[in-house]
Amino acid sequence: MEIKDWLKEALANLRRAGAEYADARYLDRVTESITVRNEQVAALSRNQDRGFGIRVLYRGSWGFAASAELAEPEVEAVAKRALEVAKASYLTQRRPVRLDDSSPYVDTYRTAFEVDPFAVPLDEKLELLFSALKILRFDPRVRMAEGTMRFFKTAKLFISSEGAELSQEFLESGAGIQATAIQNGEVQRRSYPNSFGGNFAAKGYEFIEFLKLVENAERTREEALALLAAEPCPARKTDLIIDSSQLGLQIHESCGHPSELDRALGMEISYAGGSFLTPDKLGKFRYGSEIVNIYADATIPSSIGSFGYDDEGVKAQRYPLIEAGLFVNYLTSRETAPLLGKRSGGAMRAASWSHIPLIRMVNINLEPGEEELSLEDLIADTEDGIFVSTNRSWSIDDLRLNFQFGCELAWEIKHGKRVRLLKNPLYTGITPQFWGSCDAICGKSEWRLWGLPNCGKGEPPQVMHVAHGAAPARFRDVEVGVRR
Amino acid sequence: MIGRERILESLKRLLKRLPGEQLELVYTGGRSDLTRYTRSEIHQNVSVENMQVYIRVSLGKRLGVVTVNTLEEGPLLEAAKQAVELARRQPENPYFEGFPEPAKYEETTTYFEATAEFTHRERAEVVKRIFREAEKLGFEVSGAFSTSAGEIAVLNSNGLEAYQPLTGAEISLVPVSSEGMGYAGAFSHDVTQIGFERLAARALERCSLNKAQKEIPLGQYDVILEPGCLAEVMNWLSLIAFRAQAFIEGTSFLAGRLGERSMGENITIYDSIHEPEAEGLPFDFQGFPKQRVTLIERGINRGVVFDLMSANQAKAKPTGHAGPPDSPYGPMPWNICLEPGDSSVEEMIASCGKGLLVTRFHYLNGFLDPKRAMMTGMTRYGTFLIENGRLKQAVKNLRWTESMLRAFSNVRAISREREVFSYGGAAGFAIMPAVYIEDFTFTGAQKEAITD
Repeated sequence: MEIKDWLKEALANLRRAGAEYADARYLDRVTESITVRNEQVAALSRNQDRGFGIRVLYRGSWGFAASAELAEPEVEAVAKRALEVAKASYLTQRRPVRLDDSSPYVDTYRTAFEVDPFAVPLDEKLELLFSALKILRFDPRVRMAEGTMRFFKTAKLFISSEGAELSQEFLESGAGIQATAIQNGEVQRRSYPNSFGGNFAAKGYEFIEFLKLVENAERTREEALALLAAEPCPARKTDLIIDSSQLGLQIHESCGHPSELDRALGMEISYAGGSFLTPDKLGKFRYGSEIVNIYADATIPSSIGSFGYDDEGVKAQRYPLIEAGLFVNYLTSRETAPLLGKRSGGAMRAASWSHIPLIRMVNINLEPGEEELSLEDLIADTEDGIFVSTNRSWSIDDLRLNFQFGCELAWEIKHGKRVRLLKNPLYTGITPQFWGSCDAICGKSEWRLWGLPNCGKGEPPQVMHVAHGAAPARFRDVEVGVRR
Repeated sequence: MIGRERILESLKRLLKRLPGEQLELVYTGGRSDLTRYTRSEIHQNVSVENMQVYIRVSLGKRLGVVTVNTLEEGPLLEAAKQAVELARRQPENPYFEGFPEPAKYEETTTYFEATAEFTHRERAEVVKRIFREAEKLGFEVSGAFSTSAGEIAVLNSNGLEAYQPLTGAEISLVPVSSEGMGYAGAFSHDVTQIGFERLAARALERCSLNKAQKEIPLGQYDVILEPGCLAEVMNWLSLIAFRAQAFIEGTSFLAGRLGERSMGENITIYDSIHEPEAEGLPFDFQGFPKQRVTLIERGINRGVVFDLMSANQAKAKPTGHAGPPDSPYGPMPWNICLEPGDSSVEEMIASCGKGLLVTRFHYLNGFLDPKRAMMTGMTRYGTFLIENGRLKQAVKNLRWTESMLRAFSNVRAISREREVFSYGGAAGFAIMPAVYIEDFTFTGAQKEAITD
């Protein structure tokens, strides 16, 4: 492979020019995106994106340059530009960057899959989506039915001046459907299996078939229609049961992001924000109740938050962020981990060849409860409360403390039973108090993994594929709705 | 920058290789340099050259889109063949009636040599001077300073040919003290128009004021929102209300209500490429000439933005707001503006008996109830209690939950001065004044994390 040789030569030249470290990534990604609305194909495209990026550490300052032009002179020019950029960074240096002593690996990694989605005829994909949409549109009050499928095939090469050489191949698939019902100025949406594009996994087309979009369309439609006639969710303090997919986003916003060490160190403060989980809290801050165990796990098979090695060449790992309610670890990089006397946790990920790696979430999962408690058991055990399902809106402050989430649907629970469907539910809280009020988590059989291909961070913005596993859980005395 | 001749030549060559096909080709590309800093030190610094070539093929009313990031003839031809194959397998789109015909475009100035030639070292030197100023006050500075130079070209089989170069320079300054943060930022196509010293002074002053924040009771307050708050609100209104798809589906508050009042008489929102503060691209991603579109006129719902297909669907006139050919969002306002008023932030503060001054919003979400433009978000970088016409006290960051239709029906004053914010890179912008809104609803506050 020519590009590998050119990149190796460029890294060697950078070392000769005085850089203490350099790495290079070449990436080739094909994406297929299908959006159908009502009877139309709203968007259907294939995208091929390839290029390379070179990152260099010069006298303790970073530089990065990247280009889509795959030619030897361009590789040389980009390497020189990365060095120029690093020299510009050096002008403001206060503390030189020092990397940890993570070992360089030479290895390969590949997603396991059964059916290559890029080999599945387009007609078949469209027929599946239109069949589901036909069921959604069976009632004319469903003014808009939407179905989406997205597939990503990525080949990635990483080499470093320390001798790392890693080839990784990823395949990711996802799909979802959504019904928007409108009547008398009321708009209600219901999505399956999740809102904002559905669910995603590091699998082939077999994952699309597993989702059973057609089989779930009728229920999705009927729930959207029922919401048109539902009462608004009243504003009050009550016990809250959160379904698995919404809990995934709750983990994402209120645990995943604040556990990123770059945020905690202020590196994102002018954009995405900081973190209330400051380093002085590590190992001693009570984040949640004793039943709350949240793990970072990049090793789960078939998840879009998994990989063999991160974009600094650090091997995928599994470790707790929250253990029995205590905050015990950050997501880290080779630059940041040594600041806490540690070695990288392998969480540096770049959205493409044209971006630098940043500390990103991998799979951030809430461990299931020890007892085999089902969602229905949990509802039966709740005297007075609200059960919410599927995210509709999300917002959290710049330290990840004050959050407000909206969901598509809620059920009022009285004496252990669902008694009334409610629309427009919102709930709000302060992160540690909220997780501190968690008194029950459903068991393994209710645990699901949710792939989110749209996590944003960084400047220029990077969109990352992450995932969250969770079983439904109950939180006591949560503020539901908006009191005016 | 590749240059007009080389881009057009490559695209025309592709058109010639596929003479029987109806093709639309869009090139976007260029160089983007971005310097990020935290604690008065550059910690991320990148320089990226990239391009996208969108190839859209029509076979009658069937469309296929393939995107590649190269101008090499072989991959382009292969991508075009794939687009034909995608088109062949799709159902007909009844609203597609062909690619646009050649058109004449208004002249706008979006390219400045000084921005294109700004170096990594120059960016570092600018921020280093600002770090020194901050240090005198004991503050550290975070933020980002980017410069970019790019080109967009559109060609189609009807002979349409459009080309425009553009540059962008954007800086954000967030001074951080032991007690709080401040903010100032700017965007311009021309880097020489950014007054770095003035911006730095503003950001440092705001940081100096943002200390000893107190909690205040939640509820409704008169509020003075600085322009950055409005830019974020407008981005959400564009997504949930001012674009064709939301209008056609019926989820926009304008759907079925054109000509009706949604906001106060002093609110006019429009999309325009000719503003005193900045100019925009004169054509959209299909090469259709951009029209000035009035969205809200003196509080009355007037319209949304369309491309050719959505205009056909809605039986409306196209406005020249097509997005990239692979976008699932359809046409969007790219140059959204709120008409200025005759006030100033200082006059608004002086006229306020009791209220809040908000520097920026954070993490807005407009999906709560789009028909009522119900949104939530937090305040950031300095929220201040005003009493008897004077800033009295910094307060803790607050959560607000409010209908923007209600908020824009309660606007008491709008500033003369407006600021420019980039929107989707250098190609789009929002130009916003500051506004004084009565009875804005605050529903939560940032609390301390409790430690055992």
